Amino acid sequence: MKLRAAAIAVLSFVGMVDSLYLSLKRGAGPIPCTITGGCNDVLYSAYSELAGIPISWFGLAFYTVALSFAVFAGFGQTRSLAWIFWPAAAAFAISMGLVGIQAFVLRAYCEYCLLSAGLVTAIFLLTPRPRRAQPA
Amino acid sequence: MSKTKPIIVIAVAIALAASAAVYLSRQSSDEPASAPAPLAVNLGESRFLGNPDAPVTLVEFGDYQCPSCKHYHPMTKELLRRHPDKVKFEFRHFPLVEIHRNAMGAALAAEAAGEQGKFWEMHDLLFQWQEKWSASSNPESEFLAYAAQLGLDSNRFMQVMRSPEVQQRILSDITRGRQASVMGTPTFFVNGQRIEPLPANVDEFIRAMDDQLRAAR
Repeated sequence: MKLRAAAIAVLSFVGMVDSLYLSLKRGAGPIPCTITGGCNDVLYSAYSELAGIPISWFGLAFYTVALSFAVFAGFGQTRSLAWIFWPAAAAFAISMGLVGIQAFVLRAYCEYCLLSAGLVTAIFLLTPRPRRAQPA
Repeated sequence: MSKTKPIIVIAVAIALAASAAVYLSRQSSDEPASAPAPLAVNLGESRFLGNPDAPVTLVEFGDYQCPSCKHYHPMTKELLRRHPDKVKFEFRHFPLVEIHRNAMGAALAAEAAGEQGKFWEMHDLLFQWQEKWSASSNPESEFLAYAAQLGLDSNRFMQVMRSPEVQQRILSDITRGRQASVMGTPTFFVNGQRIEPLPANVDEFIRAMDDQLRAAR
């Protein structure tokens, strides 16, 4: 369990750097995009915001929560790892939707967003499903 | 279990992540230009706004389907509003056709509107409605609607849009851009010198222009 918590913590840390980097770069002109070439198309599209807030800030919030629970799990509070499951499931579903938008609507890919989608998927797969309370 | 240790670890991780992100974001915008290629002084026929004899010529290589170009569009307008006599603004087509399937059509629409004296009006409309026509499987109908909105002769507009001369004009802009090592859009040149990194706001644009003016003296 500790190994799993450590893996989730590391993935969340990378996700925090990725999403904060995007949040800082967005709005300050074009973003360097050397692999996929379409970062600016994605990050300045109508799908990059929710209620006026860039999606990367929501990503940052998710990764911070995931990292916090994973660290608590690493220090022995193993049940806290399962608390990530539903936020991770929601983040996974949203990430898949965003990858779909990149592929079928915008027809442009953002490497930072794809990295985030990969991180969210890994976190989701590593997170144990919460157990139902056993009847007394 | 003591909660102090995990809280300290979380705080350290957040501080490290924030430092890394800030460092990376600053590093990529502070990267010096790798031998920026100067733009040929003779740009040939172009569409321009502002004073034709202005001491500063700002050239944009742009793509109407590029969201960053849309981001910079109000900045160039504001720049001209603040310095109508000091700046001549030229727009050069650089449609990134590999990733923007409707970009070439939009450039043709702007040029076709230009043939009827409404290049800049179409330029504004293309940026204003970028998301709509970009996603359209039939962008020509959108362009025709904008032409009608501008009171253009739609038959002539379509004729010019399909004319090889107009296509050639766009291709020659692309060629000029490639000669000046333009790789993406928007790319700006002030008196032939590339602005790099791209300005974050109008004040930075003005600073870049002032730097060029000082250097030219």
